[in-house]
Amino acid sequence: RMNRKKGDKGFESPRPYKFTTHQVVCINNINFQRKSVVGYVELTIFPTVANLNRIKLNSKQCRIYRVRVNDLEAAFIYNDPTLEVCHHESKQRNLNYFSNAYAAAVSAVDPDAGNGELCIKVPSELWKHVDELKVLKVHINFSLDQPKGGLHFVVPNMEGSMAERGAHVFSCGYQNSTRFWFPCVDSYSELCTWKLEYTVDAAMVAVSNGDLVETVYTHDMRKKTFHYMLTIPTAASNISLAIGPFEILVDPYMHEVTHFCLPQLLPLLKHTTSYLHEVFEFYEEILTCRYPYSCFKTVFIDEAYVEVAAYASMSIFSTNLLHSAMIIDETPLTRRCLAQALAQQFFGCFISRMSWSDEWVLKGISGYIYGLWMKKTFGVNEYRHWIKQELDQIVAYELKTGGVLLHPIFGGGKEKDNPASHLHFSIKHPHTLSWEYYTMFQCKAHLVMRLIENRISMEFMLQVFNKLLSLASTASSQKFQSHMWSQMLVSTSGFLKSISNVSGKDIQPLIKQWVDQSGVVKFYGSFAFNRKRNVLELEIKQDYTSPGTQKYVGPLKVTVQELDGSFNHTLQIEENSLKHDIPCHSKSRRNKKKKIPLMNGEEVDMDLSAMDADSPLLWIRIDPDMSVLRKVEFEQSDFMWQYQLRYERDVVAQEEAILALEKFPTPASRLALTDILEQEQCFYRVRMMACFCLAKIANSMVSTWTGPPAMKSLFTRMFCCKTCPNIVKTNNFMNFQSYFLQKTMPVAMALLRDVHNLCPKEVLMFILDLIKYNDNRKNKFSDNYYRAELIDALANSVTPAVSVNNEVRTLDNLNPDVRLILEEITRFLNMEKLLPSYRHTITVSCLKAIRVLQKNGHVPSDPSLFKSYAEYGHFIDVRIAALEAVVDYTK
Amino acid sequence: GSKHATTPADNYYLARRRTLQVVVSSLLTEAGFESAEKAAVETLTEMLQSYISEIGRSAKAYCEHTARTQPTLSDIVVTLVEMGFNVETLPAYAKRSQRMVITAPPVTNQPVTPKALTAGQNKPHPSHIPGHFPEFPDPHTYIKTPTYREPVSDYQVLREKAASQRRDVERALTRFMAKTGETQSLFKDDVSTFPLIAARPFTVPYLTALLPSELEMQQMEETDSSEQDDQPDTENLPLHMSTDDSGPEKENASVLQQNTSLSGSRNGEDNVIDNPYLRPVKKPKIRRKK
Repeated sequence: RMNRKKGDKGFESPRPYKFTTHQVVCINNINFQRKSVVGYVELTIFPTVANLNRIKLNSKQCRIYRVRVNDLEAAFIYNDPTLEVCHHESKQRNLNYFSNAYAAAVSAVDPDAGNGELCIKVPSELWKHVDELKVLKVHINFSLDQPKGGLHFVVPNMEGSMAERGAHVFSCGYQNSTRFWFPCVDSYSELCTWKLEYTVDAAMVAVSNGDLVETVYTHDMRKKTFHYMLTIPTAASNISLAIGPFEILVDPYMHEVTHFCLPQLLPLLKHTTSYLHEVFEFYEEILTCRYPYSCFKTVFIDEAYVEVAAYASMSIFSTNLLHSAMIIDETPLTRRCLAQALAQQFFGCFISRMSWSDEWVLKGISGYIYGLWMKKTFGVNEYRHWIKQELDQIVAYELKTGGVLLHPIFGGGKEKDNPASHLHFSIKHPHTLSWEYYTMFQCKAHLVMRLIENRISMEFMLQVFNKLLSLASTASSQKFQSHMWSQMLVSTSGFLKSISNVSGKDIQPLIKQWVDQSGVVKFYGSFAFNRKRNVLELEIKQDYTSPGTQKYVGPLKVTVQELDGSFNHTLQIEENSLKHDIPCHSKSRRNKKKKIPLMNGEEVDMDLSAMDADSPLLWIRIDPDMSVLRKVEFEQSDFMWQYQLRYERDVVAQEEAILALEKFPTPASRLALTDILEQEQCFYRVRMMACFCLAKIANSMVSTWTGPPAMKSLFTRMFCCKTCPNIVKTNNFMNFQSYFLQKTMPVAMALLRDVHNLCPKEVLMFILDLIKYNDNRKNKFSDNYYRAELIDALANSVTPAVSVNNEVRTLDNLNPDVRLILEEITRFLNMEKLLPSYRHTITVSCLKAIRVLQKNGHVPSDPSLFKSYAEYGHFIDVRIAALEAVVDYTK
Repeated sequence: GSKHATTPADNYYLARRRTLQVVVSSLLTEAGFESAEKAAVETLTEMLQSYISEIGRSAKAYCEHTARTQPTLSDIVVTLVEMGFNVETLPAYAKRSQRMVITAPPVTNQPVTPKALTAGQNKPHPSHIPGHFPEFPDPHTYIKTPTYREPVSDYQVLREKAASQRRDVERALTRFMAKTGETQSLFKDDVSTFPLIAARPFTVPYLTALLPSELEMQQMEETDSSEQDDQPDTENLPLHMSTDDSGPEKENASVLQQNTSLSGSRNGEDNVIDNPYLRPVKKPKIRRKK
């Protein structure tokens, strides 16, 4: 009944047994002092073949005390080949050898190949029992000491009980790493129901998957046991745990949702999670499907492994996502994290994957519906900006490192079959991948889902998701029929079949191009206008020989803005045709003054004096909808980019135009950028980008630049007092778009350079005045990010010190401007000790600025300051900034 | 009861003692003694002093008993009678012929109460306040003089002032902190020009990084009250980041409190939320199978 295609296996368990009812995990002792855990698991196993005499399970770093099968002692062997990948191999010390050896070691314990670190011999007394295919109960007692991964203990070094100290522990890890904290079949495709029990200190809370059935005190009343029941079949890899003295918040909008945070952070938790119900509503509405679990828990913990980790019916977040209502910048970031986590609840937790090569479907769907949420929440501009950003990222990565393959098919396992031989690691297992590759893999997966949407429409797309969810939902309610449960696992073939059933469309070429093979497309475009024929002669070349590229054959949309309107053309890109003739609709010079119609139906007046009198072309765009995973390098004249920037309404087009204008430092470019900067209807990110472009252009035009430094008068007009233009208004960040612009403009202005290649004194004084007169007393929002960016601006103004025969840097020969900058940095950094800013953003900026001063030879290059800030006990952002500075010494 | 120092009170005491000693000595001379041991004189002096003190104490008591503050002759008489002294003999004894007259001790540096800085005239008591109540303090301690200086209204000057004031305070404060604690420096040869307060790791770094500072809290309340915002949660923010007073019981209590108040305010229905984490913890059963 399973759909099969060549090379794509349907679901067949690699094991000669299956789980039936459920698995029990009981952790009855957790010692925070020693960072140890003691417990047992009980797996109910159903043999599927006679003469089953060995059971292989996954377990890492656990100490196994005792294994019993149906109450009979069983012998077992424990071997983890990943602990010593190269076996003292001294001859072959190269990455290639290691990579192969490591992939082999991971394979040897891969649950998806029926392997495991722990091999249990079924006692001979039970062989007859097994031959009758009767149930086996495997009971394993284990403990865990100072785990290096999988479970993370956070134990602050101070007085008081563990609860008073805010000590906590949580499960974490990359992909399937549940074997790090209890023996299991650590696969996303082996589903079973769960009973989870945790005995913890009475002052603590244990949060885990499924429903909390009851909490019972131990006899001495000092501890309590949390009993969880997870009746939806779930893979061991989606099991998680968090224990700590958490503050509890029941979501006021959804009582089945509970939020947990560390002591004292409850007010922040309330604010941060107050938005979550809207995300729930959004997903449930577009998927026309209820949230699959009966409850949901969010836990915010310190020293998080990743910012967001999704598990069955719960998500573990970094505590650093919490924020108060005064914080602007963190709010959208945190909301994105919440929305990501929730998308993965549907696709990733509830629906799991059949095999590693089907991972792209889950990441693709969850990323895609998260994108839809972005579009609805932050608007189309933000969405398109994000898609462009993701596209640029994957293109840059593939061109640099080589292709990212979404759906690898592995042959006999021989080296020559390796579909990713350009990489220094194997892509056969999630655990052998590089972290960056996996990030890019997820990025590509959701972009490809968007391409499928372009092909079959969003409506059909959502129908497919709904179908997957309803099948899974039906399957999950079936008891004890584990073959039904495979409906809860998504496979590439099942997904494609579903698409073809729902939409009736053949998307095979698309899948072949982007899923079954790696690489992106690199287009080079240029054009000429043939006046006689009134035809646009477009030439589109491809580079498909460089690493990470592939050849594109198929339709390509080109949009041409002419005087008489905007026209879409679909070109067929084929093997040997580079030139494409596109007939124009308009005559070159218009007689009467008429408004020019744009793509969106708007009609605008334009000053056409800049354009070529012989050509009706205003601007041309290749693949405006980003329907191909590509990079386009397109040549058109500067005035065309300027028209595109001013009048094209798509933010992606505007951003492309800004990027292109960097190469045209002319007064016309300057004017176009300044106009965009002043236009309040324009998307704020475009305006921010225009700031930096304007700074670059101003520097290129330095000898001919007239008037005050770029952006200064605009900033003064927007943000300074009418009566005294040298003083900035007291802060009011109610309008977020202005806020972002106010933050960015000084940073960009500080990049201005005069003819001596120095930051103009006027600009430096201007920034120092902004700092001096900064007044946040009447503001509803915190100005910590603003002040941090003012420090970034100071750092941007720094230019290399003029050094006379390598003199030693001392205070006496300190540049007077640098003295002023240092004065500010000193004060800011010291004030942070007294009134620390949110996430210590100001400390971070100060550290970066100090490194800039060192690097430019104004201050002695000494890493000791950064080393002290890099120590454990500083806030993570500060440590990262300090470590980056320390690493910078090696550059 | 004074101890051992030369305060004005001590000086008094010594002078009185000396006078009494002279008295005792002259009485002894009158009684025919030519010399006396110091200890004997001391003892007699002590006795005399006690006797006189008792007269004073007792007379004061009689006087106050009759609701007066100034003793009269009759108070003294009653006292003496009460002490078993035959008052009738007193006039004759005073006029005895062989009595010795002692010259008054020389007045040495008359102890003046050090004059506190007085400003203006002390206000006399109003008629309804009896004279024995203490006098009004100096007027400068309670009198205020409103000033009518023209307020600075020039915006630029105000902003300038606020900015430089804040900068000065911050600079002084951070310099003080840097002087009194450990510092780091960007220049090996100089630690005072740009003193950086040394980086000190926190035991719980996320608390200071995430919680709004006291100042911000204050600000938020101010702007909130002026702008009428729907942010009631923030009032619960703990201002101090102490971790010592959050025992487990207290923790749970506050959690429950938060939740009940929350459910009450959010949902018009005052039903108790059924959430498994809010349910009470069960007592252990008699014997649970392991």
